Amino acid sequence: MPCSIPGFVVPERRPSPRGGAPGPGTGGFGGPGAPADAIRRDEADPSSLAFEGDAGLLQVDAVAAGPEGGRRRLGQGLNVTAWVAIAWMAFIVLIAVLAKTGLVTWGDPQNSIASCASKGPFAQGGSAPGHLLGCDSIGRDMIARLALGAWESLLVSVGAITVGFVIGGGLGIIAGYFGGFVDTVLSGMFNVLLSVPAIVLALALVAFLQGSPENAANSTLPDWFVLILAIGIVSIPLVGRISRASALSWSQREFVLAARAQGAKSGRIMIRELLPNVAPAMFSIALLGIAIAIVAEGTLAILGVGVRPPTPSWGNIIALDRGLLLTSPHIVFEPSILIFLTALALNYLGDVVRTRFEVRESGI
Amino acid sequence: MRTELLRFIARRLVQLVIVLFVVSIFTFLLIRLLPGDPVQTIIPFAKGPQFAKERAQLRRDLGLNKSLLGQYWSYVIGLLQGHLGHQYSSGLPVSTLVDQSLPVSLQLMIYAQVISLVFAIPLGILAAYRAGTKTDSAINTSSFALLALPNFVLALFLSFLIGAKLHWLPTAGYAPGWLDQFFDGSQHMQLGQHLTDMILPSVTLAVGQIAVYMRLLRSDMIATLQENFITLAKAKGITNRRILWRHALRPSSLTMLTVAGLNVGTLIGGAIVVEVIYDLPGMGEKIFQAVESRSYVELQSYVVVIAVLFVVVNFLVDFLYAVLDPRIRRARTPA
Amino acid sequence: MTLAGLGTAAGASTTQAGPAHAPAPTAQKGGAGSGGNLNFGLEAETDNYCLTSAQLAISGIQVVAAVYDTLTVPNSKGVAVPYLAKSVTPNAANTLWTITLRPGIKFQDGETLDANAVKLNLDTYRAAPGGVSADFGSLFPIYLKFISNVTVVDPMTLQVQLSTAVPDFPDYLYSTGRMGIMAPAQLNAPGQGCETDMIGTGPFKLQSYQQNQKTVVVRNPNYWQAGFPKAASITFVPVPDESARTNQLEGGQLDLLHTSSAQQLSALKSQSNLKLLLQQPGYREIHYYYLRANKAPFNSLAARQAFADAVDRNSLNLIQNKGLFQVANSIMDKSSPGYLANAGYPSYNLKKAIALVNQVKAQNGGQFNITLGTTTDPEASAEAQLVKEQVGKAGINVTIAQFDQATLINKALQGDIDVLVWRNLHGEYSGDADQSTYVWFAEGYPTNFGAFSDPTVQSLLDQGRAASSPAQINSIYQQFNRAMAKGAYILPDWYVNWTIGYQPSVHLTFPPLPNGEGTPAFVYGRIPVLGLSKS
Repeated sequence: MPCSIPGFVVPERRPSPRGGAPGPGTGGFGGPGAPADAIRRDEADPSSLAFEGDAGLLQVDAVAAGPEGGRRRLGQGLNVTAWVAIAWMAFIVLIAVLAKTGLVTWGDPQNSIASCASKGPFAQGGSAPGHLLGCDSIGRDMIARLALGAWESLLVSVGAITVGFVIGGGLGIIAGYFGGFVDTVLSGMFNVLLSVPAIVLALALVAFLQGSPENAANSTLPDWFVLILAIGIVSIPLVGRISRASALSWSQREFVLAARAQGAKSGRIMIRELLPNVAPAMFSIALLGIAIAIVAEGTLAILGVGVRPPTPSWGNIIALDRGLLLTSPHIVFEPSILIFLTALALNYLGDVVRTRFEVRESGI
Repeated sequence: MRTELLRFIARRLVQLVIVLFVVSIFTFLLIRLLPGDPVQTIIPFAKGPQFAKERAQLRRDLGLNKSLLGQYWSYVIGLLQGHLGHQYSSGLPVSTLVDQSLPVSLQLMIYAQVISLVFAIPLGILAAYRAGTKTDSAINTSSFALLALPNFVLALFLSFLIGAKLHWLPTAGYAPGWLDQFFDGSQHMQLGQHLTDMILPSVTLAVGQIAVYMRLLRSDMIATLQENFITLAKAKGITNRRILWRHALRPSSLTMLTVAGLNVGTLIGGAIVVEVIYDLPGMGEKIFQAVESRSYVELQSYVVVIAVLFVVVNFLVDFLYAVLDPRIRRARTPA
Repeated sequence: MTLAGLGTAAGASTTQAGPAHAPAPTAQKGGAGSGGNLNFGLEAETDNYCLTSAQLAISGIQVVAAVYDTLTVPNSKGVAVPYLAKSVTPNAANTLWTITLRPGIKFQDGETLDANAVKLNLDTYRAAPGGVSADFGSLFPIYLKFISNVTVVDPMTLQVQLSTAVPDFPDYLYSTGRMGIMAPAQLNAPGQGCETDMIGTGPFKLQSYQQNQKTVVVRNPNYWQAGFPKAASITFVPVPDESARTNQLEGGQLDLLHTSSAQQLSALKSQSNLKLLLQQPGYREIHYYYLRANKAPFNSLAARQAFADAVDRNSLNLIQNKGLFQVANSIMDKSSPGYLANAGYPSYNLKKAIALVNQVKAQNGGQFNITLGTTTDPEASAEAQLVKEQVGKAGINVTIAQFDQATLINKALQGDIDVLVWRNLHGEYSGDADQSTYVWFAEGYPTNFGAFSDPTVQSLLDQGRAASSPAQINSIYQQFNRAMAKGAYILPDWYVNWTIGYQPSVHLTFPPLPNGEGTPAFVYGRIPVLGLSKS
């Protein structure tokens, strides 16, 4: 087997870069950030619309002057900021798992305490003792709810991105490898899914899948599952586009052509040759995608769909007590800050991963 | 050259039609995927003889007595004529609701776009000019943070700080602006109140885009500033400011403007949640209410309207881009 | 047409509320029409103003107060006194009522208010042959079925024959502000005209009605009460989102609003630049849980008691209402006949609840699952979660189902919900509680959401309807109160205080009633608008 070169990146860069990882951002899910619908001219395949993130440009950007922390040096360790981001993510994941499995409890997320209702950490009447972050409008401890909410938010976002990557990534590789008719059909599918703005599509899917309220008891699909499906489906074309572009350029490399000449089957080539090369780059996008999905869950919760109470998620904690913004802002801002910091950490890490890989590649 | 352009347009038009066609099928199927009797699910409150009118209306709208293909056909014909079904709880046709709400959302998006460009351009120029310095770093870092900030968080924060605590600007309510009367003749413009009500929402929506556009402009401008004609201009003694704004800006802004044009999807997504938080009676809020009341026919129609809008705008921008940049036409049309 | 408005869940309410300290009438500066244009924020939109078939919620009732007049109006003492009518007098047996009208009153389109017009209205309300059949509704006819005949005696007089004695008939002529007298032109309007073309005798006439946006009414220059209305116009704006409505008042987009939410009241109180008109105890609405008693599990008394024992109403009130409202242990408020400080509704007792739940589960295959229906707003959601949590401790499994107002009411009517979160006014101000209790708790009425039939309760209701002496009435309704508690058909939570929030520049006055019988009552959120003005 010809050696497959690890590390990744789309060969072309300036002046009209394409493919590659999208830059930091929160996508089209009601977050600012890389517009997922920027059209990039794909010289390799003029017959398609390449709805990618404005990746290449930000990629250029990142190489020119990366995010804070200065430049990385080839082969060196990660800078301090990256470690902080990793530590934060580890912390959140740990809290979420501990809360869900019940191994550690900081309070009861489903127990209302009248004396604590709507009191924040800096409440006027003195904050509720024993509740460091205050309580929500019906007196449930915020720390407990945020911890359990972390689980729901992470579950939904990781699950959705997994769906998006497995299906979208797979379809993208297939489209990029085979080209021609297969590519036209698959790209067409992607285009159609992309023709409805992400959040509208996700909203519609959840609304139709969740169905009528009084069927909640009989409903077969748990809320987190519906969200994973909806956000996952919406992310399929976005991921598909990127993996397709990547697969396209890798497919034209010598070792793939060689493998074909040797008579290797398509499936084998895709799995053995393309996947290991496409995958590492996708890792960066995955991190970004998780950030986007966490924000998406929050947005959908504010729009009234998603994880239904009393199960907490970061999004629905905000949504439920949004009306108390003036008198009890802590209920809204605590999960907001958590979402922001988590998105920030993931964006940063995604950026770091991406630049690592591309710097390595360019050194070859 | 012209045939190239025409061919390009033709191809894209065909793609447009196909996409719209598939979208219509998709939205058509959405409702039919709901379990049970559609009438019962769509207007669950309507059992009993007093709701015969609503049930009949729904049956007519859905054409439930026809075959599936027949239903789809009437659906498409209806769409082309602007029949979007009804909001059964009130009996209002959805097209009326769209007329009332679409201009609000459009104005919001336009203002957001304008504000973001107004801020992004100077910042992008500054960052490019001072590439590699502390200023550049600072701008980059803050734009990175802004990109990661979800817009509902920003909306809630601004609403709290500027509206509730400082009372500088209103955080809810809306007065008709300049666009509303074209959709709904009864809306008389109250420009002052309109603009005051729209400041916070537009700024919220604009903030995220500022970072994106700024970065695009910056990276393109960094490349442009290395070109020969810039060096020539400097040698001629033209001031930096003039060089930046007069000579470098235009060639560097193409990507940014393209992305701005294609950003409609992100803006729409952002607008929905901004409208809900700031209580603006736009399409976003209508969608939110349709979801809340499980008003499926209404929801389906909003999805169609947005999809059509989005696809058409993308096509127009694509077309514009192609007209402006001949390389694209060539690249996109197979020899 | 929707059923929004019967009592309600979080939305408006239906029956009368009592007043107690309406602001004293002050001499109004300036003549009629000099009082500016006001923006009034309402809880919801109304999509049908054909009053005979509309089931108006408080928002609709408030608009009706601007465009229409009712024959009678409750005064601050709780007596329904003639308003549009000049007099409403019964015979000795309270079965024949004579209504005389004031001469010279015209509808806003120029038609004369005469006995024929009123008869047309009454016959349409009660779906009698003399009425306009296209406008017949489904609830008023049931409500008014004791009217057997309406006859015109002369252009200014008509007589209403009842099939049974109904001493509080004047209250029915008010019907919590819904029974506005419409112009024949509106009743006879072709197609759906009756639903949108409001024409009454009221202080303001309709200028434009843009559903879900705003309804604008302008001064009626020929209003029959001289010197009124003060304002030049009122724009009613529906803002269903409670906190958005408060924000709009704070931001100045609204001049007034009404709200029944304790949380909003708390937010409004914290704004020192706004004025508030609070409803005082006396005839407040009750927020309660209505249990569906004609099917499992609540068809068993033990199950209903289990639920009631498991709910900690004090805690609920403290958390949900920040202690601003008062816990209710009676189905009617202080000034109403039948009031008892404690009628015997089960109080919080978790141990007892658990025992009862186990008992019920033993008979039901180990299951005690119920559906709790409420509206979609966040406050309702929070309350539902709280209840779910509380009764969950006793072993009852609750599924929360949230719907918009109209759907919720229909679901309740169809019996799809086990616990309906409800708000309504029971008990009255004219010394009789019949009009506001009968249809909600009597057997066989669709508005009896619990669909329960209890012979004791029914008999008391019938007795209450027939009784005429205040002492007797009081005693009967007290027994009724106790019977309801004993059967645990409902669980009252707290008394609801309506609040009007308004800008300091707004003058909110309650002008004296035309017959000199005091000032109008502050009917839970509904204010008379003829005295409103802005400086």
